Amino acid sequence: MSEEDGGRGDAEPLPGSFRDPAGFVFRREGTLFRQVNEIHRPHYDRLMSSGLYEDLVGRGLLIPHAEVDGSPAVRQGASLVLRPEPLRFVSYPYEWSFSQLRDAALATLRIQEAALDHGMSLRDASAFNVQFHEGRPLLIDTLSFEELPEGRPWVAYRQFCQHFLAPLALMSYRDARLGRLSSVHLDGIPLDLAVGLLPKSARLRPGLQLHLFSHAKSQRRHASDAEPAAASRGKFSMQAFRGVLDSLRGSIEGLGLPEDVSVWEDYYGTAAHYAEEAMARKEELVRKFLAEIQPDSVWDLGANVGRFSKLATEGGAFTVAFDVDHACVDHAYRDAKTAGETKLLPLVLDLTNPSPAIGWSNAERATVAERGPADAVLALALVHHLAIANNVPLPAVADYLAALGRHLVIEFVPKDDQMVQVLLRNREDVFPHYTAERFTEALDSRFEIVHREPIADSGRVLFLGRRR
Amino acid sequence: MDARSRIFTVSVLMLAVMFVVIPVANAYIDPGSGSFIFQAVVGGLLAAALVVKGFWRRLVSFFTKRRTADER
Repeated sequence: MSEEDGGRGDAEPLPGSFRDPAGFVFRREGTLFRQVNEIHRPHYDRLMSSGLYEDLVGRGLLIPHAEVDGSPAVRQGASLVLRPEPLRFVSYPYEWSFSQLRDAALATLRIQEAALDHGMSLRDASAFNVQFHEGRPLLIDTLSFEELPEGRPWVAYRQFCQHFLAPLALMSYRDARLGRLSSVHLDGIPLDLAVGLLPKSARLRPGLQLHLFSHAKSQRRHASDAEPAAASRGKFSMQAFRGVLDSLRGSIEGLGLPEDVSVWEDYYGTAAHYAEEAMARKEELVRKFLAEIQPDSVWDLGANVGRFSKLATEGGAFTVAFDVDHACVDHAYRDAKTAGETKLLPLVLDLTNPSPAIGWSNAERATVAERGPADAVLALALVHHLAIANNVPLPAVADYLAALGRHLVIEFVPKDDQMVQVLLRNREDVFPHYTAERFTEALDSRFEIVHREPIADSGRVLFLGRRR
Repeated sequence: MDARSRIFTVSVLMLAVMFVVIPVANAYIDPGSGSFIFQAVVGGLLAAALVVKGFWRRLVSFFTKRRTADER
């Protein structure tokens, strides 16, 4: 392929970046760039000259970028290459808790309102265009802005309702675990599905009645229209535009989570199973191990509300706190937000079924492992959940953890531990190999064991391993 | 909602649709016919709501300011 017909040289366009003719992102020698195509150049210039870029970057709502001299990945139609400020971790809406999705939605609306102030508008409102950067949600797609076409309604209204309002309403009215529905419907929850699942009481909220129920009805009514939804002239006033945005904001601000404390969220509160002394000893050891590794990035698996993740962030590491329990993740996010914590990203993840590669050709959204490895993985009070509750053989546990991190701080919880006994109370003990010896053996096959320290008074053992 | 008020609502909405004509989208994502038309229909209503809300806020802040001034 010659350069004239779009030779790609040494750059690889990212697999999730193919929809928009305005441009795309690509990686060259490990650095991420964004190509702006000629067709979009006037809109990009308007973003930069109108003051919108400074306004949004100043308020932490848009990723900053630099214009660079580098050659584009595809020459044909190329106009400019940008180098956006790098993100520490790319997370997906189906990994966010309710409060994270809600903050991402409100950020999107604030961005759109600012865009209107500068005569521009968002061309899309995909939740995937929002990322958590230094603790706050911001827009990463610099090419999402267009000059505001006069008199036209918001083209991204449908997408906003599907990506944000529908899942938030479902999480608020039905169950927070429905956030994971977004991994099945990558372009947001279809409104007919959302209204079918919502209780009748959701209709009592005018915003939901309007933007979900009536909206879905209108979609159904016009689904088979052959004519474009547009005649020729006419106006959708700016006041109407702002009215729609204000109503969406009110609808989202009015949604909350029912206040029920999960078993896990209260894990440390009533921690009868874990003597405070042992807990203190464990903290001391984790801190010591982390100081030895000096990790730049840490993934805390089964982080609960992030008690141990804090040790990692205190040491300066960017830390992703994964937990399967939605309430814990939401709690950790709200705490981090209140504290102004910039190095912690709590995410919902079921380690027994981690986020897969999905989307077009199974490549648009990456697996968790593909987004690593982390410098260090914390796996505290976790192994019994994988090996006993989920029957994963110990060597397979070690294999997967070696795929996630370069170092591993892992706690072995013996079979006679109260927490393991709880898992075994109603079932046959089919785990003759669940022993400290077999565990050490499995670990040793993948990691060089640097330390092996008993946690006083608990029978548990903490290991530090370096990946082989 | 009884039959008569339903007929009334539908007529108002149909009239609104007839008067609101919107320009072609030219968007790279599908804005959706139903979503586009729906916004045009409810836009006026939500614009009015926003005006009322703004007026209400000004009214409330006028009185709270005055009260604070009186209390001083």
